[in-house]
Amino acid sequence: MTIAVGFAPDGRGTGALHLAAMLGRSAGEDLVVCAVVPEPWPPGVARVDAEYQAYLAQTAHEALDHARERLPGGVEAQFIIHHARSAPAGILEVADEHGADLIVAGSSTAGHHGHVALGSTTDRLLHSAHVPVAVATRGFRCPPDCRITRVTAAYGGSHHAEDLVVGAAGVAARMGASLRIVSFAVRSHPPYTSGVGTSGEQSVLREWATEIEAAARGAIEHARSLPAAPGEIEAVIGHGRNWDEALEDVEWAPGDVLVVGSSAIGPLARVFLGSRASKIVRHSPVPVVVVPRGAVAELAGEAEAGTA
Amino acid sequence: MASLGEHVLRRKPAAEMTAETGTDTDTGELARSIGLFQLTLFGVGATIGTGIFIVLTTAVPIAGPAVVWSFVVAGVVAGLTAICYAELASAVPVSGSSYSYAYATLGEGVAMVVAACLLLEYGVSAAAVAVGWSQYLNELLDNLFGFTIPDSVSMAPEQGGVLNIPAVILIVLCALLLIRGASESARVNTVMVLIKLGVLVLFIAVGLQGWESDNLSDFAPFGFSGITSAAGIIFFSYIGLDAVSTAGEEVKNPRRTMPLAIIFALLIVTSIYILVAIVAVAAQPMADFEGQEAGLAAILEDVTGASWPATVLAAGAVISIFSVTLVVIYGQTRILFAMGRDGMVPPLFHKVNPRTLTPVPATIICAVVISLLAGVLPIDFLAEMTSIGTLVAFLVVSIGVIVLRRTQPDLPRGFKVPGYPVTPVLSVAGCIWIIQDLRAVTIYVFLGWAAVALVWYFFYGIRHSALRRAEEAREMTP
Repeated sequence: MTIAVGFAPDGRGTGALHLAAMLGRSAGEDLVVCAVVPEPWPPGVARVDAEYQAYLAQTAHEALDHARERLPGGVEAQFIIHHARSAPAGILEVADEHGADLIVAGSSTAGHHGHVALGSTTDRLLHSAHVPVAVATRGFRCPPDCRITRVTAAYGGSHHAEDLVVGAAGVAARMGASLRIVSFAVRSHPPYTSGVGTSGEQSVLREWATEIEAAARGAIEHARSLPAAPGEIEAVIGHGRNWDEALEDVEWAPGDVLVVGSSAIGPLARVFLGSRASKIVRHSPVPVVVVPRGAVAELAGEAEAGTA
Repeated sequence: MASLGEHVLRRKPAAEMTAETGTDTDTGELARSIGLFQLTLFGVGATIGTGIFIVLTTAVPIAGPAVVWSFVVAGVVAGLTAICYAELASAVPVSGSSYSYAYATLGEGVAMVVAACLLLEYGVSAAAVAVGWSQYLNELLDNLFGFTIPDSVSMAPEQGGVLNIPAVILIVLCALLLIRGASESARVNTVMVLIKLGVLVLFIAVGLQGWESDNLSDFAPFGFSGITSAAGIIFFSYIGLDAVSTAGEEVKNPRRTMPLAIIFALLIVTSIYILVAIVAVAAQPMADFEGQEAGLAAILEDVTGASWPATVLAAGAVISIFSVTLVVIYGQTRILFAMGRDGMVPPLFHKVNPRTLTPVPATIICAVVISLLAGVLPIDFLAEMTSIGTLVAFLVVSIGVIVLRRTQPDLPRGFKVPGYPVTPVLSVAGCIWIIQDLRAVTIYVFLGWAAVALVWYFFYGIRHSALRRAEEAREMTP
């Protein structure tokens, strides 16, 4: 199996390249690094300039040379140039052609350093990929030989969420990483004017936490019973007044990735970020893997069967 | 087995409340950060806007221009009760509603009575303000687009309509927001307070131009009893003052700050109310108040002959009453949530949706009941029911302060009522005085409601009480 990674000719894609190398090294998969260049226009009044096409090809080659230099060791990679209408479409085509089971993309330079920021290409990938999409944080770098040490699955307590945990458990076991289940509680103080006191919301949160902990315990039991189960499994809750605080409330380490399922209401096969998932993605301090619902079921099935 | 009396007087241990709310963990810990100025503003923000936009229409026909004195009477009683409430609140280590305070200090039976009153103070008042909102919405639509919603779908059956649809829509909208997990931030709250104060100041400034001393010639046509009956309705516009006490654990130097903030907030609120009332009764003859819709806006329109001040006022009212309704329904769902935890109402009320982290069933049930009330009941009845519920809740609290001083003199209290025992006694007397001048129908309906609540308690609450179950579980495992 293969991991497809898009490398922009402007050289911004180093974060994505490092993340892809880390994932490939951990899972024992090889990479396809592609640079996407615009398709030539059909012959016609536009009379495309051959020199310009040559220039684009040259830039793409240089970009791939950059990528070769920057790719950390310990992972097999091939480098290709692909012509397509747009960058996201090109990356999706490459992923299809090479049978990739994961696409890796980078963060936009408009976001905070060390956080995930969705640029236009990544955003489009997140809404149309049929396979999981990993997004590096801005400025992500992995030291040589660095591997995934812990897979954190975002857990919302629903049925799909348990599948996601099981799928993540299978992947974690394959990578030799531990599994962590995280739920987020984002609530602010109630208005003083309501007259129910400042801890009115706390009791609601306690109730929620009790329920989600029980559900998470069930999911952990399920994950432990798998043919190949991760060594360590734990469940945590991140509290905060906003998503930023809730995500920071949980402890993160290098070698962490956060796995998020796509929305239950989007198309079955494709990634489609729900409101909560997109908030988690945008505030994540570690690389995120977004898994479409169809792929969740597939991963969970593989984990149950103990294959792959 | 415990006797019936022991059940009714069972108190919730403070340690349990702390554990439930998570106050001992870092998520619940609050720094003492609120000063006198901020707390006063909270008081003003929580109080203004609940009733002043709608009570004059009902109160003036009962008291005449002397309604001004009704505001003073209601204000003094509200202040006394709020101070008593602050002592009860400070005896409990976590913040909560009057229901939780009563449960921790006065026992399960009293807590149930207080809860029954709170359903009126929150649920019914949400219905009342929603009806008021529909009137101002209609006024606004009329002024802006020359379009009014027909009476049959914007009035209660008693007034010749079928269903008050705008009020129902407002409540449904608020419930949807609450289900999604919306919460009013401090900033929104401040903006709302400014809007409310702004439109009231606009009313005073513009309305003054319509001053007609003749309107005041027959100042108190119904004498003293008229003043107190009107005070009963007006009390509605002072609910919210007690919200100051629920911020207790965050207040710096509560012993001094708490009473001062209550008094300052009361002075500010009462002054504004009195000015509004004087301007209103001087601007139009008493007879015109009866049945007037969107009262303050209508007066402005008559005074100026232009529609813009009325439009501005109606717009301000539509925005700010919306936020009041949201906050009040929020409070109601959280009180029912606490009762659900304690086993006083079915466990359905403390189910939390894992996605939105909000008590969805409780919110839906509240919205359905409140919208039914708002849809079919006239506003004066709703306002009076709210007033009597609040008054009885405070009556119980004031008596509770006296009882606690005798039964548990050593209980640590963060704040003690100044001038004990005069203050709580005056507070009790004031509540009774206002209650006995309310319409007979209001009192009967209230007694019926209290009876229903007690029957519910003796047939459901007493058996399902979470405390009783915990006690019995302890007895079973020696």
